[in-house]
Amino acid sequence: MAKQKKPKRKPGVCIPWEEKKKELPEISGDEELIKKVWEDIDGLGYVYIWQCLLSF
Amino acid sequence: MEQLYAERLKRYVTAMRNEKPDMIPIRPFVAEFTAKYAGYTCQEVAHDFEKAFVAARKCAADFDWDAVVGNMVYVWTGLTQAIGLKYYGVPGIDIPPDTGFQYIEPPPEKAFMKPDEYDQLIEDPTGFLFNVWLPRVSPDVAAIGEPASYRNNLSFLKGGMAMLSYFNAFGKQNELLRTESGTVSAISGILKAPFDIIADKLRGYLGLVTDVMERPDKVLAACEALMPHLLHVALSGADPDKKVPIGLWMHRGCVPFFSQEHFDKFYWPTLKPIIEEIWAHGHQVLFYAEGDWNAHLNAFAELPEKSIVYHVDKADIFEVHKTIGHKFCISGGIPNWLLSNGTPDEVRDYCKKVIDGVAGDGGYIMDASAIVQDDAKIENIKAMTEFTREYGVY
Repeated sequence: MAKQKKPKRKPGVCIPWEEKKKELPEISGDEELIKKVWEDIDGLGYVYIWQCLLSF
Repeated sequence: MEQLYAERLKRYVTAMRNEKPDMIPIRPFVAEFTAKYAGYTCQEVAHDFEKAFVAARKCAADFDWDAVVGNMVYVWTGLTQAIGLKYYGVPGIDIPPDTGFQYIEPPPEKAFMKPDEYDQLIEDPTGFLFNVWLPRVSPDVAAIGEPASYRNNLSFLKGGMAMLSYFNAFGKQNELLRTESGTVSAISGILKAPFDIIADKLRGYLGLVTDVMERPDKVLAACEALMPHLLHVALSGADPDKKVPIGLWMHRGCVPFFSQEHFDKFYWPTLKPIIEEIWAHGHQVLFYAEGDWNAHLNAFAELPEKSIVYHVDKADIFEVHKTIGHKFCISGGIPNWLLSNGTPDEVRDYCKKVIDGVAGDGGYIMDASAIVQDDAKIENIKAMTEFTREYGVY
């Protein structure tokens, strides 16, 4: 798999945190917490579409 | 019950590692058969997954099976209806309530992906699925540029919540299988080959047949673009304990659906690295080789020892054993037509032939050739189970 070209949108990701962060005002709190929760829930969107394709 | 579960898990895992357990494990992939046995219709187990779960647990409790899938009637048509998916024949709606659900492949001109859309898929598979594919497979979902609608919004809301509800219910189902009957959940996670999924859900078989001749570079690039995503999905659903395998459902990438040249060019180079990567993470893959894949056994033999469990459907199981049995566990090989039309004595004779031919050194799991539907006779499934228990002790 090492030879594979890097995908535009990474596996497990629908909207990358870096893209979402640009929409937000300066984060005064714990950015890592916000990033983690964003990515965890964003991953559910990824599960949805790929499971639609593969399982249903 | 916990001791029984531990014994069965050890038996199942030992065989899958191509070693010799105390006895041959029994792991039938029973789908609509569970409905027949438990007194439900095909409609009930397809559309009400709680009934499907009850039926699976009843079979697990009544038959002496080591491992099963929590619901082999996997496509919950309540979920597919909530999303608006149009490619299923739903029992009780599109087809009679006593017929198992059907996948309806559209004609080539109505394929869910058009031949000139490969570049979009290659550039961004996830975006393509959301923006192009989903609106085509669900009339409820609005395509990009179309106005949002009540039905569009509900498709995502109901579909997402229903999928989460269904997946969460499997955790409870697997726990009940363990505590009620000491039965192991046979697989965890899903994988399909990139080439197969293009045929199954994107271009259709006939569309892909045309594409491998007319735009082979695009087909290969699309397979390569799907690889990291299919790997990710497979690993994200894999057993954290690394005991039970990820299921690979093999469809139409083999001879004679495609030529050996096409298998060598498209199918295998874009599947093999996924299997190797999964194995590097410590997970086995169950090759559920539907149909006859014996033309490709030498390719499968390239994989690392023990990295897969190889399930035999219509192929010659003795040839499979001869070619790859020294590297991998084998399962299946008891013909579904025999389970449907034969007698218990004929089933016992066939099981003996298979056990004698391939199970002598371990590394064999008893199962039917293909997923067992409601045509199988209950007495024949009992005969397969009881004979294996009597004769399959090492």
